[in-house]
Amino acid sequence: MKTNLSKEWLTKRVERDEKADVSAGMLDLGRLQAEPPTARVESIQASAETESLHPAFGRLINLWRRKRGLRMDVLADRAQIDLTELIEIERNLHYTPEPRTVYQLAKTLELPSERMLELSGNLVVRDSSLGEEAVRFAARSESVEKLSKDEQRALEEFVKFLSEK
Amino acid sequence: MHDRKARRLVEATLIDGITRAEAEKAEAEWKPYLEEQLKRMAAEGVPKDRWPQHGHWDWRQKQEAADAYLAYRMFGVECQSQMQGLMLVLTAGKNCQIESQKGKPLAYVHFLAAAPWNLATVAPDPRFSLVGSILVATAIHLSIEEEFQGRIGLHSLPQADEWYRNSCGMTDLGRDHAVQDLRYFEMTPEQASEFLK
Repeated sequence: MKTNLSKEWLTKRVERDEKADVSAGMLDLGRLQAEPPTARVESIQASAETESLHPAFGRLINLWRRKRGLRMDVLADRAQIDLTELIEIERNLHYTPEPRTVYQLAKTLELPSERMLELSGNLVVRDSSLGEEAVRFAARSESVEKLSKDEQRALEEFVKFLSEK
Repeated sequence: MHDRKARRLVEATLIDGITRAEAEKAEAEWKPYLEEQLKRMAAEGVPKDRWPQHGHWDWRQKQEAADAYLAYRMFGVECQSQMQGLMLVLTAGKNCQIESQKGKPLAYVHFLAAAPWNLATVAPDPRFSLVGSILVATAIHLSIEEEFQGRIGLHSLPQADEWYRNSCGMTDLGRDHAVQDLRYFEMTPEQASEFLK
């Protein structure tokens, strides 16, 4: 990569940087870990279509976690992701998590990672039936403490659909 | 880089693509220094809001991510055989929020940090400055290389808000509840051009 920083530019910047802290990122968080979701990430795009799938992604994580009897902090720990991000995924249905977070969650919860990347808005959806199934699933599942029979059924059918594709 | 003590510019190397060995070496040098300074700050009764806010970042894990994941690029600035700053940039999946650039792709600075001995908030006698400017300039160049025209975005840690706003000239888009309530900043192509002048 070409960078061209002249001595004049650096000299000009010295004063501006004198007492600066320059940190960017997240507070006390360093769990970004290697995962290889393949080169397809280069085709990542935000689109209206993937946006509409977000509610299904958050709901799926919430229900699948509860089905497995995992507390949020336990899942965050096992998946090596930040707890605040997991809370955001489950509660803010329009939140787009980082690809690495999705991959970690999929691996920990034994869900198909590419489908999870599509559902979360990180990969372009190639199969239109996913959108229909996701909307149906989101509509059938509601946030309650214990999984209802209908939620349980909706969850199992949706995960079966994801795994078959 | 600028040697604060000698008050002069010194040679430094920008590394594009940090190796595992380099990340491990940086971690091995940064961590003990930071821990030592934290102990000193605790002993001196320095209020916790003035403590460094990125103490637990694990750069080795970030390097592994950058190695495995094509959309991540990791850079370092090395001077006098030590890593003086590190940065991880995501080049896919992030779009501008600022109205004039809405929806256009940007390079997202996932993490950026100077070595703890360069931080005025940590070191009693900081050694080098310009780490932040060099890394932000690098992110802009990467954005241009990716044909994003210099657009970059990042979540600043509170101690650095003022620097990104005033010294870098980035637009402050306010607190982002999705990312620990940190302030989110973006740089437009015009602001990037101004920064590089």
